[in-house]
Amino acid sequence: MVKSQNLLTEVESKELLKKAGIPVVEAKLARSKKEAISLGREMGFPVVLKISSPDVVHKSDSGGVKLGLANAAQVGRAYSQIISSVKQAYPEARIDGVSVQTMAAPGVEVIVGMSKDAQFGPVLMFGLGGILVEVLKDVSFRIVPVTERDAREMIREIKGYPVLQGYRGQKPASVPALEQLIIKVSQFVEKNPQIRELDLNPIFAYPDKAVAVDARIILE
Amino acid sequence: MFEEKLKEFEPIFYPKSIAIVGVSATSIKAGSVWVRDFRSAGFPGVIYPVGSSGGRIGDLEILSNLRLIPGEVDYVIVAVPRQSVLGLLDDCAAKNVKAVHFFTAGFSEMDTQQGRKLEEQMLEKARQGNMRIIGPNCIGVYSPERKIPFLMGILGQSGSVGFVSQSGGIATKLATIGIARHINYSKGVSFGNGIDLDASDFLQYLAADPKTKVIGAYLEGTRDGTRLFDTMREVAKAKPLVVWKGGRTEAGAQAALSHTGSLASSAAIWSGMLKQAGAIEVHSLEELTDALLIFQQLGRGQGIRAVIIGGLADGGGGNSVAAGDACMENGLKVPPLSYKTKHKLSELLGEVGNILCNPVDVSQAQFRGLATLFQAIDLVARDAISDVVLIQEDIDILLPIYSEKGLEEINEFFIDLASRQNKPIIVVLPPGSVEAERLQIEQRLLAASIPVFSSMERAAKAIYRLNQYSCWREAE
Repeated sequence: MVKSQNLLTEVESKELLKKAGIPVVEAKLARSKKEAISLGREMGFPVVLKISSPDVVHKSDSGGVKLGLANAAQVGRAYSQIISSVKQAYPEARIDGVSVQTMAAPGVEVIVGMSKDAQFGPVLMFGLGGILVEVLKDVSFRIVPVTERDAREMIREIKGYPVLQGYRGQKPASVPALEQLIIKVSQFVEKNPQIRELDLNPIFAYPDKAVAVDARIILE
Repeated sequence: MFEEKLKEFEPIFYPKSIAIVGVSATSIKAGSVWVRDFRSAGFPGVIYPVGSSGGRIGDLEILSNLRLIPGEVDYVIVAVPRQSVLGLLDDCAAKNVKAVHFFTAGFSEMDTQQGRKLEEQMLEKARQGNMRIIGPNCIGVYSPERKIPFLMGILGQSGSVGFVSQSGGIATKLATIGIARHINYSKGVSFGNGIDLDASDFLQYLAADPKTKVIGAYLEGTRDGTRLFDTMREVAKAKPLVVWKGGRTEAGAQAALSHTGSLASSAAIWSGMLKQAGAIEVHSLEELTDALLIFQQLGRGQGIRAVIIGGLADGGGGNSVAAGDACMENGLKVPPLSYKTKHKLSELLGEVGNILCNPVDVSQAQFRGLATLFQAIDLVARDAISDVVLIQEDIDILLPIYSEKGLEEINEFFIDLASRQNKPIIVVLPPGSVEAERLQIEQRLLAASIPVFSSMERAAKAIYRLNQYSCWREAE
């Protein structure tokens, strides 16, 4: 847990990204179990609930994420479980409620992010999601602003690139959609120098589009 | 591009007159060594030795103060203790000196407040006096065309390769390896702390310099990353730029809250930056010199399809397999020979099967004489399936079979072949038990503009990088 005024919640982060034309799975804040259930009905099941707190960075580590909730009863139960397990893990965390969003269909998981380098300023990162980014550090970097050529090259230079082209029956990911997403993120961080770090993790890439399922923005 | 740098840097790389400060008639001071090195190198300009104790060094009078120099001074080399540098800069300003190189160390590299403060004061004096500073804490300029030697009197032939280095040690290695491997430099510079002129300035100059055709750089960091990135992007459009970034630090700021921040190591960011700029990244002194050599010898890449002659005599089989692996692992393509070439080869050598595929093993020629060997190599080289011909020449094996005279004929044949072919011939000379002969052959081939490497891996990497630049340029 971090005490940070500067960590935007997922709901806030996604609102900013959406305004910048970056495709996200929209998330809404529910401050109560009742609100969560009604948002679930409104969005259509199955939905995902995640803890919404400016103090919790790694949401799933503290039992703050529940996936594939198929009806109102499951949403209600998940709400209580999330609130109590986060309170147990981080008794001092400020809790806004939970975010509710539709459960995205599975796609190829990738990450796009930004951090600031002491020598070169804002840099963008691209990589495959999950274990490939964590363990193998199979990622590529470019300095902002990123051109179309840079975006094309940074996707193709990772070792896991063939995964994006489809393997063992998995559908391929739209590389042009990922290129466009990277360029939009580059423009977004260029226009918003107050952003210190950014993660779109994971992004689900499909044959025709790519959507950020989770997002985190840290301000200066 | 950067044309204005030519005039600005002329006093640095083509000075008409220089002063060397910190010279003594009696003791061996760095300044005295410098004077002797300049004189033995045959520097054609005027040299003014300066040292507080006066006296003579050789037939030159040592002036007790820079201000006593009778004529103009373009460039000053300083090897005095750091306590004297500020006063010296006043003297330089009074003499309208254009550029000052500080060999003197003990500044910001010591990581002291005092060192940093002194550098700020030096910079201020330089700005006021309209002078440029090289260093401090560096060995400065290497300009073979103007007979300006590197430290210790190193001086090679003048050529077309330019380099910049943050480290004096690496710069010296570049110069000496250059002499050994016929990498001939146009200009080189080691800029140390780079408080005024830094990598970006020298890269801009080398990009503009008509004598320089390819640029190498050893860098550890930069004070102005944005300027360096913008400079490299411009420079790479004009000339191949090969960069070795030393000092790989672990990932990111400790305070990183994002996955991205925790993965953002400086090495990963430099790699991305260099690709984005169109520079070619290398990871060692070997890779840097290999790349500079191949760019110097060949200028540009014609493609990555390699035909490999893995053996000229006994033992070619295993070497061929290993050579093929080395090329493919390093990004080259190794397509099979055409049916026509294979057919002709089998007629010539009486062989069938895979050994006449690619890599090609022509060792059977040793039972039919050199003329057959040459015919076989010629056939392989001519086959349109390849863009480049790689030949492994094992002197240990060839010397007992063909004797020195035969070896000489073989290498003359390579030189002739290279001049007749419109594709490059590259020779791999692995070290072994007959080093004197091997080095002699290497010199002969290098002098004939044939790139020579000590292993197939190194050759393959260099070929790949040569083509990497050509591809990048075409896509730009």
